[in-house]
Amino acid sequence: MALCLALSLACSSATERYGVDLSGRPVSDLGGPGIHFIVLVFAATDCPISNRYVPEIARLNKEFSSQGVRFWWVFPNASDNAHLVSQHNRDFTIHENSLLDVSQATTRRANATVTPEAAIFTADMREVYHGRIDDRYLDIGRERPQAGHHDLELAISSALAGKPVPQPGGPAVGCSIVFLQK
Amino acid sequence: MKSRRVNKDIEGCGFPPLRQELKEAGPSASHRMNGLVESCAFPPSRQKKGAKTGHGASVRGPALSVLLFIALLRPLAASSPQTDSPAQPGASAIWSHDVAPVLYKNCATCHHPGGAGPFSLMTYADARRWAPQILKVTQSRFMPPWLPEPGYGDFADVRRLSDPDIALIKRWVSAGMPQGDLKAAPPQPTYDATWQLGKPDLVLKVQQPFTLPAGGTDVFRNLILPYPLKQTHYVRAMEIRPGAPQVVHHANVIIDRTGSLRHQHPTDWQGGIAGMELVVDAGNRFDPDSHFLFWKPDTPALVEPDGMPWRLDPGNDLALNIHLKPSGKPETVDAQVGLYFTSDPPSKQPILLALERDDQLDIPAGDSRFVIEDSLTLPTDVEVLGAYPHAHYLGRDMQGWAILPNGEKKWLVWIKNWDIDRQSVYRYKEPLLLPKGTVLHMKYIYDNSAANPHNPHNPPVRVRAGNRSEDEMGQLWLQVLPVNPPANAADPRLLIEEAWMRRRLEKAPTDPVSLYNLASALAGQGKFAEAAAVYEQELKLNQGDARTLTAMGAALDGAGQWQQAQERYRAAIHAAPADQAGGCDARFDLANLELRHDDFKAAETEFRAQLSACPEDAESRSGLGAALQGAGRADEAEREFRRALELDPGEFTALLNLGAMAADAGQPEPAAKLLEAATSTRPASPEAHEKLAAVYAQQGRLNEALAQLRIAAGLAPADAKLHSSLSQVLDALGQSEEAFAEQKQALQLDPNDADGWNNLGALLARGGQTEAARAAFEHALKIQPNHAQARANLARLAAPK
Repeated sequence: MALCLALSLACSSATERYGVDLSGRPVSDLGGPGIHFIVLVFAATDCPISNRYVPEIARLNKEFSSQGVRFWWVFPNASDNAHLVSQHNRDFTIHENSLLDVSQATTRRANATVTPEAAIFTADMREVYHGRIDDRYLDIGRERPQAGHHDLELAISSALAGKPVPQPGGPAVGCSIVFLQK
Repeated sequence: MKSRRVNKDIEGCGFPPLRQELKEAGPSASHRMNGLVESCAFPPSRQKKGAKTGHGASVRGPALSVLLFIALLRPLAASSPQTDSPAQPGASAIWSHDVAPVLYKNCATCHHPGGAGPFSLMTYADARRWAPQILKVTQSRFMPPWLPEPGYGDFADVRRLSDPDIALIKRWVSAGMPQGDLKAAPPQPTYDATWQLGKPDLVLKVQQPFTLPAGGTDVFRNLILPYPLKQTHYVRAMEIRPGAPQVVHHANVIIDRTGSLRHQHPTDWQGGIAGMELVVDAGNRFDPDSHFLFWKPDTPALVEPDGMPWRLDPGNDLALNIHLKPSGKPETVDAQVGLYFTSDPPSKQPILLALERDDQLDIPAGDSRFVIEDSLTLPTDVEVLGAYPHAHYLGRDMQGWAILPNGEKKWLVWIKNWDIDRQSVYRYKEPLLLPKGTVLHMKYIYDNSAANPHNPHNPPVRVRAGNRSEDEMGQLWLQVLPVNPPANAADPRLLIEEAWMRRRLEKAPTDPVSLYNLASALAGQGKFAEAAAVYEQELKLNQGDARTLTAMGAALDGAGQWQQAQERYRAAIHAAPADQAGGCDARFDLANLELRHDDFKAAETEFRAQLSACPEDAESRSGLGAALQGAGRADEAEREFRRALELDPGEFTALLNLGAMAADAGQPEPAAKLLEAATSTRPASPEAHEKLAAVYAQQGRLNEALAQLRIAAGLAPADAKLHSSLSQVLDALGQSEEAFAEQKQALQLDPNDADGWNNLGALLARGGQTEAARAAFEHALKIQPNHAQARANLARLAAPK
């Protein structure tokens, strides 16, 4: 695996298109029947900011899952293995799907750089949004008591309504994703 | 014979609560002072565990990264030139030699496994993992958390990272985070999960753990921990274990002397009380808040300086006022507080005071520069020990300074970018001496615009002062220690209290709390008539208020208007049911008044009525004992005193009276023990020291008797009898000159003391000053013609040798 990681994307195969689930099975389809949009939320088990967004993502999942939106927690850091993420999901009562982006191809494809950061893809995997979830964090150390602008929620609503998808009003703030070097 | 100070509810005013005054039924100065000896403490000293920052061996090996693909892209650290000065600009920076010591010293106290920080920074892998964030937060000075501007207050335990250290971290990250030789890294600091100061003498636990929701806004909760013991203890150290350190931002511990929070929330206090600020009843003695019991994650153990323990009495509660940040999952806050006792009562008496302009906080929506200012002139010399600036989310710029009488300006603190999440108490490296007449100033600037990211309202709304986090506050709390008190002056804390309350009344002339506290401060200084007038003002605002009526009764009693005092007490009893504090206190004070006017039967009746409502009240039990003793029913009195001690082994009146009874019965050993306990319970009681001195003298322990008398005379320097007693003990110890001086002083204070003149004559005679001795004896006889001893002494002088 280390050799494979070092070679990065060269290791990707058709059966490991987006990553693996917590059982180690390759995930080749993030959507599925009836899914119009896929929301990826990049996270790290040890990132306090992405952890603080667990209730917010649960809220959005509850709001949109019946409208053909599928949410995934995506863990891009090599240190987040299946065991750690499983434990983390139990601790945080995470019910959404989880994806280990072992090659970080999905993360690069989504242009995510920090956790938490969200991306919205169409069913045919065309990205229509990537960026912050809301405006609660303006920077590390500059935090609103609560969010005033819910960028991701607005973007999903717009996408579902067939309207132009508004882009994030500010940068995503969080923990840097540890990218593997090619 | 003791009296009780009464108190009343006070308005909420954040941390710490404003106290309410006390009043005292007894007009005697010595009794009045008895209530003023209270504990106090310094701000917590910062206990840091085991952070060793010394560099390891200087030989650096190759950077064998576990993530080989990273290492391959970077030059090996081994190729970097070595340096012993990691802070030099342009020098290389590697983790093992340079960065680890900085992280261990400045970050690891929170950022260790199980610590309050959200992740660990103990290993190279940790540091590398978080390097981008470390770079960012050190460049922005978000971390380590430290708000005061350098140069505006010289504080201890500064957490501000030095410029060279910040530059070092930047170089390290820029260089690709080289590891260096792990063997050369300093040893990791160690943190264990046990109590830092060893097993506490007492551990308090919350009754019901509080569950912090997974998400939402920050939570401000007040967890109540009742103090379960039946004895008073002095606390020299405290450690707080919040149960979920990563979600607890900070906590203030507030001593609720009367359990008032429990009484306000009788059915649900066990789970804690919501709110950022507290409303507490400050108790029935002059007991000014004197400690900053402020906890933050890197200072779990608060150790008070020598001489400044704080006091816990039976019936007190600790209120843990905590700021919690949801983590994304429900967290159980199962707080414990470990207490470490000392048998030594406090020897230093600081006081907390506040500059404040909450009354002016009415901030228009969108106003980005709303200013409040306050000032206070110090009525006495003080040393400032610590400062606690406080605002909520809209505060931005907070300045505190002092203008000395000579015009010199001294900065107390300046925070240019306030952040409630990183608030703290700041303790001065050295006490800051401010002479009498110094004017303290505060100037706070608030930003209620949408550009303030901390603004809880979007869009902004008008904001006023209040208890909720979305309200505002503007306070600068200072811990000051009065110094250089004038001889024979009242407790200087009362002067500070008086000045503070007068200033508050300038701002809000009808504020009942300020009126009540001012009246109490005046009564504490013996200005009873003035105090009664101020209570009268407050009564116009709170007609029929039992507490104020009681307090006013005490002031009138002190002013010599005891019949009027009785009326007020009776009105207070009528105004409040007997089982409520106001009625209880009034009945106690009325009984006490009757006791002092030798109406033992009436006093007994009132004390018995009091005990039927409050059977566990040790003070009332002692009061009953005193009434019985006054009526000549010594056996019954002794029984009541003993019952009082069963309820409270530190009950002063019982200790004092039982000690005196034992001494009278010719039992000096138990008498000494009881009186020693009395002096320990109330070290500012001259009466207790005097009685103990008498017992020591009985036992032939003259040096110890002398020491006790010196303490008593220090506490009551105008008491002629004490100087006379001192003279006798000094004479017995062969220190004739000092004995003579003390007797002279006694006679200056009380020139009509025939015994004193006789004693002076004896001293003079023994010193060979026959004529002067003769004059002294004759003076004694002039005052008291039948003074047998003086007459006999004169006869001896007259007899030819």
